[in-house]
Amino acid sequence: MINSSFLKFVTSTQINLLIVFVLLLFLSFLLASSTGSYSINLIEYFSGNSSELQNKVFEQIRSPRVLLAGLVGASLGISGASLQGLFRNPLADPGLIGVSAGAALGASIIIVLGSSIIPDYIFGPLILPLAAVTGAASVIYLLYLFTKGFGYQGVTYMLLVGIAVNALASVGIGILTFISSDSELRGLTFWTMGSFGAANWTLVFPALLIILVTIFFLIPFSRQLDLLQLGEPEAYRLGVDVKKLKFRVIISSAIVVGVSVSLSGMIGFVGLVVPHLMRLIGGVNHNYLLPASAFFGASIMITADLLARILISPAELPVGLLTSAIGAPFFLWLIFRIRKT
Amino acid sequence: MSLTLKNISFKAGDINILNDVSLSVKKGEIVSLVGPNGAGKSTLLNILTGDINPDSGGVFYENYNLNELTILDRSFYRSVMSQSQQIVFDFSVKEIIEMGWLDKGNAQFSEHFDQAVLDVSSVCQLDNLLERKFNKLSGGEQRRVHFARTLLQLWRPSDSMDPAYMLLDEPTANLDLYFEIKLMEIIKKKAVDNVGVFLILHDLNLAAKFSDKIALINKGKIVRYGTPREVLKPNILEEIYNLKMNVDGNLKVSYF
Repeated sequence: MINSSFLKFVTSTQINLLIVFVLLLFLSFLLASSTGSYSINLIEYFSGNSSELQNKVFEQIRSPRVLLAGLVGASLGISGASLQGLFRNPLADPGLIGVSAGAALGASIIIVLGSSIIPDYIFGPLILPLAAVTGAASVIYLLYLFTKGFGYQGVTYMLLVGIAVNALASVGIGILTFISSDSELRGLTFWTMGSFGAANWTLVFPALLIILVTIFFLIPFSRQLDLLQLGEPEAYRLGVDVKKLKFRVIISSAIVVGVSVSLSGMIGFVGLVVPHLMRLIGGVNHNYLLPASAFFGASIMITADLLARILISPAELPVGLLTSAIGAPFFLWLIFRIRKT
Repeated sequence: MSLTLKNISFKAGDINILNDVSLSVKKGEIVSLVGPNGAGKSTLLNILTGDINPDSGGVFYENYNLNELTILDRSFYRSVMSQSQQIVFDFSVKEIIEMGWLDKGNAQFSEHFDQAVLDVSSVCQLDNLLERKFNKLSGGEQRRVHFARTLLQLWRPSDSMDPAYMLLDEPTANLDLYFEIKLMEIIKKKAVDNVGVFLILHDLNLAAKFSDKIALINKGKIVRYGTPREVLKPNILEEIYNLKMNVDGNLKVSYF
């Protein structure tokens, strides 16, 4: 049933575009996993003719990193697209409802106060992601409380709550920055600029599972997001349980963004810009937009991470710096273009 | 078989919006609701659609209490057109119309999708606009697109006995004279096909010409209910609208 209704509301051009995006993703994965300060010949690797060192770099360092970049890109892309649809606002972004800020605050607390409140041996390397997810989850809980189960007074109200939560989280991060030592400050700064440098299988594997499950949980609701564009009452009259839809989209976005932010730090503009680009290329209906934003978000993030690794090799740029440097001017161009039409 | 409101009362704060209102729309019947601004017309419609719950009284879709029906079930009974909100993203006209399609997961039903979309588009004379961007259309054209969408929501195979009702809040607003009449004729045809129609109108002449029943509402109460000839009496209208009214033998209402 999902298949037949999916085909009905997606044009053949859009299906071709989706195929192109998948190929693009595959290509960027191959390119990024073979290129770097230590290059790996993938043909040799798969035919078993590579050295042990090459195998190790590919399996233990490169693959988890590229995979994580792709997952984070897909998460930011799809949650940006679905939140923009839910809020019926092209400026909505996971950052806007305060979820990223909550995750950031959680992680900052651990970076600055970490070892003095919780000894390292309890959670080990999982402590930072756990703290960030807890931060994101607390923000969602706050949103839930303030909007009486996401139902109260429509989405504008939720955006306003999000702005307030963002401000509060910034205060928290500000205080932590103020009291941190020099080395902690350095960790904090790097983290807020985003990086995939810390990727390893212990972290990537649970993230992979969580993010993929959530994405598949979101995609069947594309059509309901389309109907929501007519307004909440109209969507209800067409059979959409609006409250349930809000709940589903917000929880899913919060989970994927919380997990992403916790593993890679703050990476700006991907969630905002990728859905815009996808609409510009292929159309606005969510049956196309959600998978397209996931695929393209993943390829663009893998490519951005590749650039971050090789531009000033052997040193590395923070990838969040790179995405913002490319994303912000692009966004300005978008706004300029909207004003003209 | 009908959609029915039984003893509905509704308050906003301390103000009585609706006071013990009962009304029903039968299959194949056109019922118009007329009355001055603030009489409670839109609230009544929103209670009938299930958008808001009344403080007391019951809403019934045929044999079911509205509360027993899921949100999805309700959408199979009735389609609704009201004052619409702005659409942010650039959907095409065709995509907006298609939003009316309720996928019932029935392959035999699904087969008719493309044909059904074309049918309602041509009935509303939108064939040439299908690929245009909805947001680039004029207000009247957008209205017709939404009307086509409500028609698609009620699309049934020709042998279907499934119930179908249309609830329309001033469907002719923004339409030019040609499409005003055209739209009322489409509604009339739907009623002949056994669809029950409930609509809010301001134009008493349109109501007189096309309705089977008129309900006249004032200050939250149904003042008169019956055939156009029974309801459209100058003395009643004058009192409610506070205007000098004249109704001739063909039920033409004039007020200036």
